[in-house]
Amino acid sequence: MRLFLGQRAWVLQRVTALMLLILLALGAATLLTGPSRSYESWHALATSTHGAVLIVVFFAALCLHGWIGVRDIVLDYIHAPTLRLPLLALIAVILFAIFIRVVLTMAAHFAGGA
Amino acid sequence: MRARSASAPKFLNLSQVRFPVGAIASIGHRVSGVLLLVSLPLLALALDRSLRSKSEFDALRDLVSEPWRALLLVILVWAAAHHVLAGVRHLLMDIGVGSRLSQARTSAWAAILAAGIIALAAAVRWLS
Amino acid sequence: MRVSIYRFNPETDAKPRMQDYDVAPEAGDKKLLDVLMRLKTMDDSLSFRRSCREGVCGSDAMNINGRNGLACLTSLPGLKEPVVLRPLPGFPVIRDLIVDMTQFFAHYHSIKPYLINNEEPPERERLQSPAEREKLNGLYECILCACCSAFCPSFWWNPDKFIGPAGLLQAYRFISDSRDTATAARLAYLDDVYRLYRCRSIMNCTEVCPKGLSPSHAIERIRLALVRESS
Repeated sequence: MRLFLGQRAWVLQRVTALMLLILLALGAATLLTGPSRSYESWHALATSTHGAVLIVVFFAALCLHGWIGVRDIVLDYIHAPTLRLPLLALIAVILFAIFIRVVLTMAAHFAGGA
Repeated sequence: MRARSASAPKFLNLSQVRFPVGAIASIGHRVSGVLLLVSLPLLALALDRSLRSKSEFDALRDLVSEPWRALLLVILVWAAAHHVLAGVRHLLMDIGVGSRLSQARTSAWAAILAAGIIALAAAVRWLS
Repeated sequence: MRVSIYRFNPETDAKPRMQDYDVAPEAGDKKLLDVLMRLKTMDDSLSFRRSCREGVCGSDAMNINGRNGLACLTSLPGLKEPVVLRPLPGFPVIRDLIVDMTQFFAHYHSIKPYLINNEEPPERERLQSPAEREKLNGLYECILCACCSAFCPSFWWNPDKFIGPAGLLQAYRFISDSRDTATAARLAYLDDVYRLYRCRSIMNCTEVCPKGLSPSHAIERIRLALVRESS
């Protein structure tokens, strides 16, 4: 098994970067043109179906993009396999946990808001 | 041959190497990426808090009232700005836009300066 | 002029040191290599490689005032003093400014730097159209001096696994050659997290190439060719 991918990781890094850019632009546009920056309008936006989905997609892209980036840093600077593999595994677990946490957050508020 | 290489010294003192501007933009991209990744749990936490109640939402908006928190936010603003700008530069260069050396130097300078200006603006707004 | 040079003799020195020389360039001295040759007559223990003295053989690559370059192509006017000369960064030092290029050339050999074509050879040579030949410009001129690879941070961190800018420029030279039929195999070999994808487009390689070539551009084209290949 090839543990570290070449082209696929490179492409994924760029695809997630594009997704993040588009979502950030969308977020900035909403912030600038939206009616107000109050709790009420933010809550309504985040708990709407498309808002909640976009937030989850944003964090998914963020975690994947961060994973590839940090993987590259580890491959560059940390060479001892006894340190490298546990470190990579730990980072992967933390990133996955953050993503799950975001999904749970959105699920809780989505259910509450709907 | 092998034994000699193993014991041979190497010159690799980074403070004695003159880095081109592209290398500065690149290491900035890496450092800012790490900063953003480290702050990712905070972002997830902020998302949760911001949706809980009006008072928690307002508390988040008042984060900058404490100077050390404002300073941290300024650093994160720099990190986000530099990472996005240097990232867009890389995306364009990947498809051959601005990947000639002279253009790449200009865009590296532009990304570094623009991120600095954005961070400065945030600092002026929150720290003064 | 004052020149400060990295000295290391494996037989007597435990670690490298810097040695300062004061030397008066004479009328005919135009390039840094001329001064080094003059220093060699003053101190014959000083060791460096040189051969053609005109930027063709690629022997006298070194770190000059913090940047890699060829001593024979570095003009004396405009050089900041003291001129600090060190061996190519990241390469094992054999003696003074002479580095061990074994690994560098192993990477070069790994990309099969020769035409691969198993089709029946024609009676005369394999012909190329002017347009096909044009594609090799900017690639075939590489003299393998290692200025680029020795200025590449990715190569510093993984010199045993990353092919480096020089090897990748050569890889693209054969990928681009209309007479070569192994393009798919060459690309498949490069699709690896270390061999090709350690490159982060820092462009230090292109910054220091004494021949004005652009390894970063070659790498950019290889990556796009790989995307095309897999889609």
